[in-house]
Amino acid sequence: MNSILYLYCTTFRNRIRQALHKPVTYVYLAIALLYLVMLPYSFRILLREWEMDSAEGMAAVFTAFAFWVIPSNLISYAKRKGMVYRLSDVHFLFPAPVGFKWILLYTFLKTLPAYLVLNFLLAAGGCYVFGVVWWKMLVYFLFSIFLENILEGSIMVLLYGSERMDQKARDILVKASYALMGVIVALGVGAYLKERLSFQAVLYFLHSDQVQMIPFVGWYAAVVHLLFLGPTKVNVACSILYFVLFACLLAAAARMRCSGEFFEDAMKFADDYEEVLSSRLQGRTDLRLGKKKKLGKAYVKYRGKGARAIFYRQLLEYKKQRFFIFDINTVVSLAAGCIISYLYLFEDGFGSFNDFIVPAAMAYVVLIFTGFSGKWGKEIRTPYTFLIPDYAFRKLVYATAMQVFQAFANAWVFVLPPALSMRLPFSTVAFTVAGYVLLYACKLYVLVVVEVAVGNVLGRVGKQFFQLFLMGLIIGFAAFGAVLGFVFGGIPAAYGLMLFVLAGMLVILLTISTLCFYRMETVNR
Amino acid sequence: MLEVIDLSKKYGKIQAVDHVSFCVPDGTVGILLGPNGTGKSTVIKSITGLVRYTGQIRIQGIPSRELAARRIFAYVPEIPSLYDMLTVREHMEFIIRAYGVRAQEGEVDALLARFELLDKQDKLGSELSKGMMQKVSICAALLINPQVILLDEPMVGLDPAAIKELKQVVLELKARGATVLISTHMLEMVKELWDVTFVMNEGHILGSYTRQQVGNEDLEELFFAVTGQAKEAADACAQGCAATDVGLQGGAAADACPQGTGIGAGGR
Repeated sequence: MNSILYLYCTTFRNRIRQALHKPVTYVYLAIALLYLVMLPYSFRILLREWEMDSAEGMAAVFTAFAFWVIPSNLISYAKRKGMVYRLSDVHFLFPAPVGFKWILLYTFLKTLPAYLVLNFLLAAGGCYVFGVVWWKMLVYFLFSIFLENILEGSIMVLLYGSERMDQKARDILVKASYALMGVIVALGVGAYLKERLSFQAVLYFLHSDQVQMIPFVGWYAAVVHLLFLGPTKVNVACSILYFVLFACLLAAAARMRCSGEFFEDAMKFADDYEEVLSSRLQGRTDLRLGKKKKLGKAYVKYRGKGARAIFYRQLLEYKKQRFFIFDINTVVSLAAGCIISYLYLFEDGFGSFNDFIVPAAMAYVVLIFTGFSGKWGKEIRTPYTFLIPDYAFRKLVYATAMQVFQAFANAWVFVLPPALSMRLPFSTVAFTVAGYVLLYACKLYVLVVVEVAVGNVLGRVGKQFFQLFLMGLIIGFAAFGAVLGFVFGGIPAAYGLMLFVLAGMLVILLTISTLCFYRMETVNR
Repeated sequence: MLEVIDLSKKYGKIQAVDHVSFCVPDGTVGILLGPNGTGKSTVIKSITGLVRYTGQIRIQGIPSRELAARRIFAYVPEIPSLYDMLTVREHMEFIIRAYGVRAQEGEVDALLARFELLDKQDKLGSELSKGMMQKVSICAALLINPQVILLDEPMVGLDPAAIKELKQVVLELKARGATVLISTHMLEMVKELWDVTFVMNEGHILGSYTRQQVGNEDLEELFFAVTGQAKEAADACAQGCAATDVGLQGGAAADACPQGTGIGAGGR
């Protein structure tokens, strides 16, 4: 216990100290502060509009939240996932003579600071947004910090640490939790549809006695109702059941035998977590936590030599993937295209901005995904790319060619739904696709420029901000070109000038990034 | 003493380790040898308690999962993973608290100085090179004053001075009666250290050999002789001959911990 507390407190203290030394922390804090000021104000207006700015509203929100969070936590504990162990824990903590349950609770404790902050904000929000009296929110705060955490910790120990529960029992529990979530969502949707799409019907459903009678999750809702809305026969009875359950689970967790069999799953999870974490830091989005990437068998015939080998190697990698070049970017493109179509067809469209909404949305998507550089981000970090005996320009082009092709495919996925719904002329569609591809190529080459210009000065986040700044400039220039073209020659000129500006930018960037790439392989290596 | 008795481990349908038994007595340096993918890592992870297994593992006669066993057992993994947010010194402090070590004043300093870490003691784990991390990992293991220590490829990433120091440490541990088990492919580095070697292949112990048995034979030659022999036997079996227990042919004993010598290994 002593060592666990030491590890926890020292890590926390050093993390805070290190964060305070980074300028980006203050940027994040400023953004968080801005949200903290803006969000409650907006929520208050929204809740007033929905007639939810009351203690009833607060109880409904907590009930809905509980039905979402509690089963999903049960699922992750039963699957022995969701507890974030690092490889350092596997190295130092797992073999140490520390109680196995304490090792379980250590990871659980890691979430405590975030939980404290969240609950404090909820308590403050409860007073300001929902107008609940302060002492009730204080009681809720204490209840959630102490009782809820102890209860969840007990459940976590019982599920994650259990050595009696076999895989079959775990699977049943997972399925039952999914079923519970499904039933509640279905009942809620049913109430919404039955009462002629009335939001009040959903609120009525969340406050119903039947909901509070559902074991565990419902009993939690009963405690919340008792606190915020006063006693009823049902919520008092179910609250008693909640506290009985609390005592039973705590006693069971304390008595349960645990000899560390969970280490094997925790170690696997730690391996996966480190892998996904490092891939995210490299700007890749293809790896998912807890899901092993399945690769098929594929073959490519290498044609040509030198830098072309990079292109064929990437092609082989893509061919081995389940969905070839289609990935999360494709999903985002499709979703964005569908949303534009929906807004156009069912929500009055975009007025005079109709002709430019697709390229504007595309630019926005490229901008927000600036930090995700995909294969290219990995390529410029591996020495093998630099060791290939070929010209820097050829290497740059061949190493990015597959991603440019990917951008071309994603552009069509993006543009097709709005093209069909808005009946866009083919020329506009083609220009839009070309614009997306040019902008995406610019994004790839900006990465090299940033790496050489500020790679040794700024950290990962700083570099991403600089990348974002440069991409913002490029988009700004392209938009300026489009406006200028529109003023002097209408829509065709707007698209034409926008493409001209983007193409010009790409040529400039390609030249600079070739020089930068050359510098990276000769000086920085 | 480290006893591994009838250890088996399956990953899904793959039998990684199949009824492996061996024993390393007090004051003995054991070497675990075997080609890649033969189950050495699984044996190590089982001893450390990181994987579920069938069979028994005892440290000084205590089941390895018990706290009393873990208190006297140290482990140096192949790839060190330090806490990003703990300094070198804080890693040592954590070990002192976790293992209840009564470190004498200056003991930690002496240990860090021995591995040239004293000037790095305020560096965070994330700021160290791989070699430095390995040194911290070794220091943390030594700080425990272990009765049984398991070193998995401990020399990878170390500079020559650190390798020399580690060899000296192993000899000191042996001299004070500790059990040392080293898994390594760097046979040249352990040639003057070992007392008994266990050769593994395809999840089995093919044989165990003491230094006295082998005489002047080089570990490397022994390794190739044993694993080559295994291949011949496998080829012979593939051709339909009667099964040959290679482990017993090449090895010293079939029981995990035979009486008398205190050294032994059992295969399938």
